[in-house]
Amino acid sequence: MALDFTPVLLMAGFVFVAVLPLILIPAIFAPRRPTPIKLAPFECGQPPSGTARVHLLMQYYPYLLLYVVLDVISIFLFAWAVSFSLLPAQASLPLVAGFILVLLPPLGYTLLMARRRELW
Amino acid sequence: MAVTDIWQMIKRLAELSFWLLVPITLFGIPAYYALERPIIQPYVLPFLTRLMSELMDPASLTFKVILYPGFTFVVIYAAFLVLIERKLAAKVQLRVGPQYAGRYEGVLQSFADMFKALSKEVIVPAGADRLIFLSAPIISMVVAGTLLAVVPPSPQSLIFDSPVSLLLFFSVISFSPLVILLAAWSSNNKFTLVGGLRALHQLVSYEIPMVVSTLGLALLVGSLSLVDVVRVQERLGLPFLLLQPLAALTFYITMVAELERIPFDIPEADSEIVAGWVTEYSGVNHLLLYGGAPVIKLYAFSGLFTTLFLGGWLGPPPIPPDLWFHLKTFLVILSVQALRAIYPRYRIDQLLRIGWGTLLMLALINLALTILLMGAIQVV
Repeated sequence: MALDFTPVLLMAGFVFVAVLPLILIPAIFAPRRPTPIKLAPFECGQPPSGTARVHLLMQYYPYLLLYVVLDVISIFLFAWAVSFSLLPAQASLPLVAGFILVLLPPLGYTLLMARRRELW
Repeated sequence: MAVTDIWQMIKRLAELSFWLLVPITLFGIPAYYALERPIIQPYVLPFLTRLMSELMDPASLTFKVILYPGFTFVVIYAAFLVLIERKLAAKVQLRVGPQYAGRYEGVLQSFADMFKALSKEVIVPAGADRLIFLSAPIISMVVAGTLLAVVPPSPQSLIFDSPVSLLLFFSVISFSPLVILLAAWSSNNKFTLVGGLRALHQLVSYEIPMVVSTLGLALLVGSLSLVDVVRVQERLGLPFLLLQPLAALTFYITMVAELERIPFDIPEADSEIVAGWVTEYSGVNHLLLYGGAPVIKLYAFSGLFTTLFLGGWLGPPPIPPDLWFHLKTFLVILSVQALRAIYPRYRIDQLLRIGWGTLLMLALINLALTILLMGAIQVV
């Protein structure tokens, strides 16, 4: 089934066109007096040191792994939910229910592991 | 000070108009006559007249996109929502809030702020990735505005409906962590990077409970079209809030988290990391990232909540359906704004644990209950 997404693209395009003047007006009218101090990155009044860098929070890495797994699964579940009324319940229900039940223990284990700070 | 500013502005205007006039007179006019006026007359005037006539017609797509359920309406609405939020927070904290712009209670404060932001210098910090830094506010606005195409105020004023509307909403929303990370990384500032990574963790974590919480609803409706969702609520005679209370609770909390609003405003925590991932943005970019896109998103999310759980445009007849929708949406928005005045902020590890532990479990329990319900219906 082909879907026509033109209205969505039109909406996005119009927002883009409507925002452009907001960008252009300050570019033309606003004062422009840069000084080295003004352009320095904000570091609460300290002289900035080096480029921006940050630790990636390894403690939260399990959560990102969970996301990678569950995101795909949830979309598949949508496909099942929409076609639920078309399928016989005896065929699809045990499958999906079992699927979610199988999913739960690893989920719980990952959450438990994510709580253990000494691991990281 | 002010006088020199105005003088500078006039000088800049004169300079600009000069540089516009030179190429027009030197090349534009001769080219116009040499090419025997080929372009302008056959296309531009009919296009303009068609545009004007379509802007008069509430049923046309142009009207919908530009004026009523679309951008113009929502921007003006957003300006008043910002004002209402400021007044509400002020009243809770025993202040008066905006008071002077406009004749009564500072009603024009948002517009005054807009003009102030437009006249301010746009500072691009040294070492920033200029192109990405300046395009992030625009992309953020486009992402927020695209959501408006999906939210249906009523079947008459509806920009877009399809069997995959709900998924379309979620897929557009999943752009926002990307935009935030781009903005944070391109600023070359430590605070923005910290805020951007926090936002990444938060938005990514709360997407799953949100998606799963609407699964039960998709199961009941049998379609992802938002119009169908409201039609089914009409047929059942009760909103899904009563039929799926767990899903509504989960969706509401995840909605507040996806909007980065106060119990979950970890990415822009003012008291810890200056302004989070918006720290380096100034002037109009700050307006778009702080007062533009988030408020439009707030409207879109509240509209989606209204459609999914509160029955959308349904209501007793003397009030037109559009007004019902906006009344309900306004109440949802007000409840989200009231949270801001009364709650402190979560820590990021608490947030992640709530999202993956409690909320995901609630959503799965809701799904299981719905499956049981559907199974019972099919057996009977």
